[in-house]
Amino acid sequence: MWNTDKSLTLSLVCTKIAIVLVFAAAIAFPIALRKGLFGEDGYVTAQMNDHIPLIIAIFIICCLLALIALFSLNRLLANIKNGNVFTEKNVRLLRTISWMCFAVAIATLVAGFATSFFFLVIGALACFFGLILRVVKNVIAAAVQLKDENDYTI
Amino acid sequence: MKGIAVNIDIVMAKRKISAGELADRIGITPANLSILKNNKAKAIRFSTLEALCEALDCQPGDILEYTKDD
Repeated sequence: MWNTDKSLTLSLVCTKIAIVLVFAAAIAFPIALRKGLFGEDGYVTAQMNDHIPLIIAIFIICCLLALIALFSLNRLLANIKNGNVFTEKNVRLLRTISWMCFAVAIATLVAGFATSFFFLVIGALACFFGLILRVVKNVIAAAVQLKDENDYTI
Repeated sequence: MKGIAVNIDIVMAKRKISAGELADRIGITPANLSILKNNKAKAIRFSTLEALCEALDCQPGDILEYTKDD
């Protein structure tokens, strides 16, 4: 039977897989890009060929930011699994993840203006995720306050 | 200190009642009574206040005290 605990375990496993994939991508993408494995005549590839060092730099920065966000997410899920949902620590973790999204948005927007429209779309999406996470963070912060008040009502 | 202060320990000392016994009589945990005594509580239920007044044979004003900032 499917339950919350199994769902949390699945989320934790997915997060760990994502961490491994980001590590793998951080190593494989620059090699693939330099060797021209993405094809010779695609629009994106043609645009990218002029800015390969910039794209690799932005990609590595994004991978680092994604890893920080994923490790924070992993800790957040572990806290939730341990029954610590409405805590200041979780608010801080959500804030970190949201800032990482905004940082990725800035990095990809820079790449977008310099290279291809494709990066602008990723930047806009990262910005949107960052905003959603900020709202979730604000909701959890309000819930922490309510829980605190409830816990200290005798 | 500004705000509402809880003076349970003063009333408890007057009535010569221990914290454990009081907690037992009013039906709250010693940990919660300690929160009340140390002025860490954010709110107090009317039912708890009523039980306290009954157990300590006092008025709410004997337990709670409002102090203004000078």
